[in-house]
Amino acid sequence: MDSLHAIGFYASSGVSVAGALGVALLPRRDQRGVALAVVGLGLAGLYASLSAGFVALVALICYLGAAWLVATQQYRAVDNVAGTRWRQLGAVGAGGLLAVLAYSAFRGDFVHAVYYGGQFGATALSRLVFAHDTLATEAIAAMVVVALAGATAVWRVRERGR
Amino acid sequence: MSVDLIAVFFVAAGLAAAGAFAAVWRRDLTAALAGIPLMFAGAGVALVGIGRFAAAGGPHLFGQEFAVLLAIAATALVALGLGVSGREGSR
Repeated sequence: MDSLHAIGFYASSGVSVAGALGVALLPRRDQRGVALAVVGLGLAGLYASLSAGFVALVALICYLGAAWLVATQQYRAVDNVAGTRWRQLGAVGAGGLLAVLAYSAFRGDFVHAVYYGGQFGATALSRLVFAHDTLATEAIAAMVVVALAGATAVWRVRERGR
Repeated sequence: MSVDLIAVFFVAAGLAAAGAFAAVWRRDLTAALAGIPLMFAGAGVALVGIGRFAAAGGPHLFGQEFAVLLAIAATALVALGLGVSGREGSR
């Protein structure tokens, strides 16, 4: 990786992490939407600097869409039932997660692990799911979509009846 | 200046932890939903980094397929969560 890509990588990582902190800390909904869009831009830059142009394009479109959804004003707020103490404990847990992930990234030994069970990876998995077991995958996907749509419809009807 | 897998993992860890923090810290659940794409972004960055650096000899598409899937799933989850929460003034 040459210096230009490295500079792009570090600049994009700074942009995306800053946007992520904005999503967590900014008070207004439209500000959080803009912060999520900034995350999408930084993420696209990260992927592009890692030679993943198509992923960068897909991520940019998806995260801009999610940012538009978050920023729009027409959704009502749903209050969290967890109290302040639980939220503080959760924040400490997020800090612990960062420490564990950073430690495992610093160690990095598992990268050199060898798997002897045959070919394993996204390509092998997708070949299994989308070629060998296509019908079963389609059936499960249809079932999940119908279940989610049905659950959403039932929930909305019940809420409207209250 | 160079980039290696450890740097990619550090960025992925920062994104995932920021997403977890956003998910647990926001009082409004629809705002907490925005933490999910951040956690998925961290996972996607790690996957693409593994495909770029660690999958020596293999195609780089190893992790990119899952990164695309994660980005789409993150948007779908946000849309589903906001749809379930309902529009303002609908009841």
